Amino acid sequence: MNAVLVPPDWDGAPGWLVLPSPTTPESAVTAVDLVQRALDEASLLTDRPLPRALGLAAAGWRLGVRQLRAVMERLAGSGVTLVALCSDDAHSRVAAAAVGLSTCAPLAQGPAGDRPPGPANDPGLALQRGTLRAGDHLEVEGSVLVLGDVNPGACVRAGGHVLVWGRLRGTAHAGCRGDTEARIVALQLRPLQLRIADVVARGPEDSPPAGMAEQASLVHGVIRLDPAQPFWPLASTESAAAATG
Amino acid sequence: MTAPSSRFILICSGKGGVGKTTLTANLGIALARQGARTAVLDADFGLRNLDLLLGLENRIVYTAQEVLAGSCRLEQALVKHKQQPNLALLPAGNPRMLEWLKPEDMRRIAAMVGEQFDYVLIDAPAGIEGGFRNAMAAAREAIVVTTPEVSAVRDADRVIGLLNSEGVKPIQLVLNRVRPKMMASQEMLAVDDVTDILALPLLGLVLEDEQVIVSTNRGEPLTLGEGGSPAARAYINVARRLRGEDVPLIDPSKERQGLRARIGRLMHTKIF
Repeated sequence: MNAVLVPPDWDGAPGWLVLPSPTTPESAVTAVDLVQRALDEASLLTDRPLPRALGLAAAGWRLGVRQLRAVMERLAGSGVTLVALCSDDAHSRVAAAAVGLSTCAPLAQGPAGDRPPGPANDPGLALQRGTLRAGDHLEVEGSVLVLGDVNPGACVRAGGHVLVWGRLRGTAHAGCRGDTEARIVALQLRPLQLRIADVVARGPEDSPPAGMAEQASLVHGVIRLDPAQPFWPLASTESAAAATG
Repeated sequence: MTAPSSRFILICSGKGGVGKTTLTANLGIALARQGARTAVLDADFGLRNLDLLLGLENRIVYTAQEVLAGSCRLEQALVKHKQQPNLALLPAGNPRMLEWLKPEDMRRIAAMVGEQFDYVLIDAPAGIEGGFRNAMAAAREAIVVTTPEVSAVRDADRVIGLLNSEGVKPIQLVLNRVRPKMMASQEMLAVDDVTDILALPLLGLVLEDEQVIVSTNRGEPLTLGEGGSPAARAYINVARRLRGEDVPLIDPSKERQGLRARIGRLMHTKIF
C-alpha cells in the first residue's frame, strides 16, 4: 500500500498526503519511508507539480516529534512545507502541535455512510497519557481522558466530555461543538477557566475539598460545580447509542 | 570518540533572569573543585555573559564560531580557568551566528567537547525559540532553573514540555532565590507548590543571597571561595547530588526555628 497524494481543493489550499493504515505494528515500513516513496513517485510525474503546502493524514500512525521532523525535512527537500497533521492519535497531535503544525482529527471514521448520523456516530474516547504542560493544546473530536495533570497554561478541548485523572489547573472546554450535555470531571478541579459549549466561567479560587473528585456541568445556562457523580459519564452516550441502535 | 561517561547537561529556564548563567558558572566551578573535568558551553549567542561571570572575558581569543568554521582547533578556543584548571569555557561566537547556527552544529561541537570532559554544562538562552532549540539539541539531560514566582514556574513548565517532546531526560529542578521568611509567611510560592506543578525531582534549593550579586560583578563565582555563604553551600550541594552523592534536602520554610516562626506556623495551620 502506498501513500496517496490528494491535490488541493483550490489555489492556495494545502494538498493532503494520505498514508495507508499501518498493516502490522511490527511492520518495518515507517511513515517516513512512505512519505519518501510518495515524493519519489511524484517527482516522476512532472506534469502535476507538488503543492507548496501539504497536510499529512496519518490515521492509525503514532508519530513522535522526531518522526514528524524527519517527514518535514524530507518534504522540505522537495520544496514542500508540512502545515498540518490529521490523526486519530492524541499523542501524535500533541507532538505535531509541538513542532508547530496545525492539527485535526479525522472527521469520518471508516467509509462514509458506514454509520448512521446521530449519537451512535460517537467518535469515542481519546486517551492522553501524561501531563499536559503550559503551552500544550489538545483538541479532540469526541471525549478525552487525560491520565495526568493539566497544568496552568495548558488547554484541553473536546467535542464531548473532558475527564482528567489528575489535577485540572489549566483551561478546559467540553462540548466545544455545542454539546450542552458535556461535562468536565477531574480529581482536583481548580482550572483557570472552564467552558462548556459556549458558556465561560472562571475557576473557583478556594482550595479544593480534600479527596473528592468534582465535576462541572451546565445547569440552566450556568456552569455548576458538584462532587463528581459515582458513574462514568461516558455511559450516558453509550446507552443513547444502544437505544438508537 | 566520546567517552560514554560524559554527561551533557542543559541548564535552562524559559524565563530570563532566574539564574541560569549564575548556576552554570557556580556548578562548573563546584564540579571542577570536586575533581570532575568540566566544560561550560555558552549557548546564549545573542547575549553572552558566562565569560563575565567566570572572569574570563579578557582571555577569549577564539570562540565556538572559529571552531565550527575550522579556522582553529578546539583546544585553542577552550579557555581554562585560572584557579580551577579542571574547568574550561567554550565561549559563544558573535550574535550573528544565530542566523546560520543549526542544531547539528551544536551537536557536533558538544561531541567534540565531550571527548575531553566528564561534564559538559550548556548554558541555554532564555526563551524557547531557535537559540534554545539549538542548545537543547546538544543535551542529553537537563536542569531546569526556576524561582518561586508564578511567571517563572509557568515558563519552566513550557520548557519541560519541550524537553519531554525532544526526549531529554532526566530533567531535574533547581529552585533559585528562595526566601524562607516569605515562604513561611505564605507570601511566596512554597516549595511544594512549585514541585506540585512541575512534577520534577528537586536537585537543589538556593537561598536568595546578596553575595551572588557581589560575586557576579567581580567575576568570581561564589563556589570559588572558601566562604560558606548560603548560596555557595547550595551550589556545592547541587554539584554533589549531580555526581550521585546522597545529600539530604532541607525545606527552608519548614526548617525555621524560633518562637515567632513557630507561632506563625501555628496561625496558618488549620485546626478545624
